[in-house]
Formats: sequence, structure tokens, C-alpha cells
Amino acid sequence: MYDTPTLERTVDNSTVKFSARDVHVFYGETEAIKGVDVDILDKTVTAFIGPSGCGKSTFLRCLNRMNDTIDICRVTGKITLDGADIYDKRIDPVQLRAKVGMVFQKPNPFPKSIYDNVAYGPRIHGLARTKADLDVIVEKSLRRAALWTEAKDRLNEPGTGLSGGQQQRLCIARAVATGPEVLLMDEPCSALDPIATAQVEELIDELRQSYSVVIVTHSMQQAARVSQKTAFFHLGDLVEFGETGQIFTNPKDPRTESYITGRIG
Amino acid sequence: MTTAAFLCLFVLAVAGYLWNRQAASAIRANGTRLHSLEGFHGFYALLTVLVPALVLILLWQVLQGPVIDALLKGGISERLDGLGTGEVQLIVAEIKSISRGAVFGTPEQWKFDAAERYVTLNMRSDTLLLVVVLVLSLALVVFSRRKVAAEFRARHGVERIVSGLMIFCSVVAIFATVGIIASLMFETGKFFAKVPVTEFLFGTNWEPQIPLREDQVAAEGAFGWLPVMLGTLVITVIALLVAVPVGLMTAIYLNEFAPKKFRAVAKPFLEILAGVPTVVYGFFAILVVAPAMRNFAAAIGVDVSPNIALAAGSVMGIMLIPFISSFADDALSAVPQSLRDGALGLGATRAEMMLNVLFPAAIPGIVGGVLLAVSRAIGETMIVVMAAGLIAKMTINPLDSVTTVTVQIVTLLIGDTSFDNPKTLAAFALGMMLFIVTLVINVFALRIVRKYREAYD
Repeated sequence: MYDTPTLERTVDNSTVKFSARDVHVFYGETEAIKGVDVDILDKTVTAFIGPSGCGKSTFLRCLNRMNDTIDICRVTGKITLDGADIYDKRIDPVQLRAKVGMVFQKPNPFPKSIYDNVAYGPRIHGLARTKADLDVIVEKSLRRAALWTEAKDRLNEPGTGLSGGQQQRLCIARAVATGPEVLLMDEPCSALDPIATAQVEELIDELRQSYSVVIVTHSMQQAARVSQKTAFFHLGDLVEFGETGQIFTNPKDPRTESYITGRIG
Repeated sequence: MTTAAFLCLFVLAVAGYLWNRQAASAIRANGTRLHSLEGFHGFYALLTVLVPALVLILLWQVLQGPVIDALLKGGISERLDGLGTGEVQLIVAEIKSISRGAVFGTPEQWKFDAAERYVTLNMRSDTLLLVVVLVLSLALVVFSRRKVAAEFRARHGVERIVSGLMIFCSVVAIFATVGIIASLMFETGKFFAKVPVTEFLFGTNWEPQIPLREDQVAAEGAFGWLPVMLGTLVITVIALLVAVPVGLMTAIYLNEFAPKKFRAVAKPFLEILAGVPTVVYGFFAILVVAPAMRNFAAAIGVDVSPNIALAAGSVMGIMLIPFISSFADDALSAVPQSLRDGALGLGATRAEMMLNVLFPAAIPGIVGGVLLAVSRAIGETMIVVMAAGLIAKMTINPLDSVTTVTVQIVTLLIGDTSFDNPKTLAAFALGMMLFIVTLVINVFALRIVRKYREAYD
């Protein structure tokens, strides 16, 4: 099934967005990431796959410095975004996170109205001068996240009252609203049913037009369906990184082959 | 003697346990399937023996005194004829003290005889108790032993007895509450028979004195609770103005911003603060805070009263800080990590995350905590007794001296009191009002906490 990709796989862009060199991550004494080199392209969906605990989420959280919020976590090596070192002292992680949006495993809408959820980012970053501007941003983001038709009549209802799939799309709209350049998605469909998953996957493909998307997933089918590039992590190492079609049909490393054929996991 | 009774009882109960267990084991060894495990047969015996016998001993201890007194009085009835209750009580007390060997003056011979009789009666009662307990427990041991059989449902029996005990325990609290309310209501009713309800509720004058003699002038009491309640409110508001901001800021800092080391030091200090007895806060208010405030006021040329409400209120506020901060800390910690990540992931600063996401989500818990703090402030007694004034004034000036409901209750009930004049009974009316106010606030607080609890999960 992996050799019948449902989506076009050509990578029509070769601008490097993120570039990581020799990245190590330590949780206290344990080394969670053991020297990862990877280039993430603009306007491309890059999938991180690998067994649980292999470090793919940890690496994802390095890209917007969410690991900074964990006291015992230490990152070494160099990660650049558009050529600028994001771990440089002059970089404010808060501004970085506005540029690099994140969607989490479990839908986590704030206990606020749908409108306020989406408007949260633009408000704290001062992206809208007037209420009308903000309305435009909210509508655009909700349309982007394919939630507008369902949500437009209930913008003032709490975001927590939506269904799971809708909540996750709301979180995507919320992330999109700050106008990021990269979207990081940490297993965005693991709490969703197949229909909602399909909607979110379709959305991811559309988001590729404007953003670089990095998605961590446990589902190899999902990686095959939505991504153009795939990185396989195993025990903190980046084992293989390449075109998704090549990874799934003709992996170079025996570990990759074992994983995608279900022998390790 | 009673100790001996207890000892016998416990020995017999344990013996019953072992006997039953052993009997059940024997049945099982024969190859028969028991309904209940051996242990349950044992516990069945233990409980069947202990519960009724303990109830008997307790009842005996309670009833022994009055019964012996009645017998004692019956024995000397010809001497007590025509005496008032007070004098009878005196004579009985004298006889009892003679029986303990404390003889004052030269009592008549019949009193010595009565004392001797009293001692004998007591001894007889104790011996009788021992015998009755022995017989009863033996009977119960035999009774439960005879129950042991393969199909006997000992587990159900044990469960029934234990659930009965649990019901009894939970009913104790209910009865205590009902009893307290009933006695409050009864005394309050007596008060309102002497002072009109309207005067109490709407009167703005509180001078709880009554004429000692018929012809005494200027001693007509006034019982309007409003100035007293106003004083309570003034002090409560001052306390909350101190406690709520400080407590919330403490909780926010400790929960989100404080380094681990600071938190490890600060938390125990807050717990110590929560454990300081209120009487110590009282010292603090009267010996440190109030003089400091007076000196400061004098230095800037403001005239303040000696029992300044601000001193009592702010010290009470300090008392409430750990209360509010621990509630708020719990509420903030209960907000799921995913919401924190969500806000940070959008590029919110920690302060923005706290203000816009965590705090609104934690509001129900915090409001509940604050309302519980309010009812504590209203009911707090010791600090205000020591540091607040005694004169009720219709004022909301925090630099003035005010009195509170609790202070008035204490002053009305200490010293010589007789329970048939409005001065003393007024304490119960005040207590009733205090009870109603704190009850309403507590119910309200619990409602808020419950209503919004699920909303943010």
C-alpha cells in the first residue's frame, strides 16, 4: 500500500527552512537525541516517523524551543531558521514561537470562545490594529483550517464544546492565525477518528502551499499519505532521511526497512 | 474494675475470633466448601462480641452516676425532705467528697454513713458490670461459634456490622450539627421573646447592658446588630485586601515563575504560617502591628484610635495568606499542561500565558478559596478579641476602632452570666446570624467550585 501514494510527491521547492547540525538533546543525564543533521525544506511536508521514545517529538520541540520550558532539558548543536541560529542568545524564544507554530497531540483549545481562541495569537503579538482586522484574520484562519463553515455561526461559543476533530482544526486555525512560516505538528491525529483524521490530512496538504510543515506521526500510512520528505528516527539517531517514496519503497538502512515492514517498533 | 471489664471483653473477643476461625478451618479441612473465608468467621465472632458489649459498657458508665445518686438520695430521703434543690446538691457533693477522704469541718455522723453507702454502691456497680460483661461476652462467643457452618454467610454478617458502624459514624456529624443548630435556635427564640426581631435586625445601636436594679437610670440596653456586623465587614474587607493580592501573587509566582530552590523554601514557610495559632497572631497584632501603625499615624499627624481596625484586619489578612495561596496554587496546578504548551507554542510569554490562559481556567477554584477565606475571616475570633475594640460604631473608617460579632459574643458570655436576660441571650442571636452568614457564603462557594469544575477539564 505504500507504493500507491495518494498525493503528488514532487518537491517543487528547494529552499532550506530549518537546518540542523549535530543536534544533541539531554534530559538530565540521558541523551535523547544523539547528533541529528537534517534540512527541512520550505513549502514541504516533512514527516518524522519512528518507534515510541525514539526522540522524534523531542527533536520537533527543539525547532521552536519548546524544550526550554523543561528545566532539565539541554540542547547542543546548531539549528538555523532561514540561516539564523535559533539558539543564539539574541533570539527571543517567544518571537521564534510566533514564527514557528505548533499543533499538539491532544486538541488543547483554551477555555475561551472559538473567536478568542483564534484571536489569541494575533492579540498577544499585536497583529491586528482594529477589530475589523482581527475579524478578517479569524475568518481567514478558520477558513484555512476548514472550520469556517462549521464555526461561523457559533464563534462566541466555547472552543471546548466542539468535537475532537473540530477542536484539533481549531488548534490548527489558532496556530495559523499568528502567521507562522513553519507549522510543527506533534501527532496531530492520534486523538482523532478516521474521518477527522482524513480532514486534518487534507488540510495539511493545503497548508503546504504556504508553510513548511513538520509532522510527527506514529502512522506510517499517514506519513506516506501527507509527506514529501520522511525522516526515520531510532533510539535518538536520525537513521534515514529522504524522499517519502524512496523511504517507503526502497529504504537504504536495514533498520528503516525493519520498521516500515513492522519488525521493530 | 472497668479496666478489668474491658480486658475480659478483649480477651474473650480475640478468643472468639480464634475459636471461630479454627472451627471454620476444620470444616474446610474436611473438604467442604465454605461460603466465607475462615477470617470472616473469625471477624464475625470478634464483632458480635465487641460491639454489643462496648455499647453496654458505655451506657453503664453514662447511667451509673445518676442511678447511684438516686439510690444515695433515696437512702437519706428523710434528711432531705423539705430542702431546695440547691441544698440537696450541696449535701450530695459533701457526701461524695467525704467518700474520697476529703473531710471539711465536722460533718454529722449520718453523712459519714451515707458516704460509706456511696462507696459500697459504686463498688457493687463495678462488680455487677464486670459480671454482666463477662456473661454477655461469653454468651455471644458461644452464639457466634454455633453459627459457624459451611453455608453460613459470615462475610455478609461482617459487612452488615461494619456498614452499621459506618452509618453510625456518619450520623454522629449530622446529629451534632442538628443539635448545635437546635440549641442556637432555642436560645435565639428566647432572645427574640425579649427583644423584637426588627430592633435586632435593623437597629443601629448596640449597647448590650441591662439594669441591675429596677431604679437604675440610663441602662436601657440597645440590641441592634448592624454596627457589630458592619465592624465584622470592615475587618473582613481589610483582611481580604491584604490576603487576596498577596496570596494570589504568591501562588502565581510559586506555581509558574519561582525557581525550584525558592519554592522548596517558601512552601514550608507558608505551611508554618498556616499553622500559627490565632492567639499568636493576636499578640502580633496588639504588640507589633497596632503600635507601629499608631506611631506612624502620629508621625504624619493623623489621629487614630488605639484599637485600630486596620491592625486587626491586616494581621487577619496575613493569617489568610497561606489559605488563599494554597487554594490558588492547587487550582493553577490543576490546569492541564496541554493548555500551557498551547499558549507557549503560540509565542505567548509566561506572563501572558498566566494572565490569559491559566488564570481564567483556574478562576473557579480561586473564587471558591477566596469565599472560604471570607467565611473564616468572619468567624475568626481570637485575633479580633485581642486586637479589635469593644465599642460598636456605625463606621467604615479603617483607622477607627470597631468591634466584631465574634468579639461581642465572647464579651457577652464571659464573666458572670445568667441565661435569662437579653444581654446573655443576645450572644446566641449574634451566633445565629454569624452561622447564617457563613453558611450562605460556604454554600455559595461550594456551588461556584462545583459548577465550573468540569467546564475546564
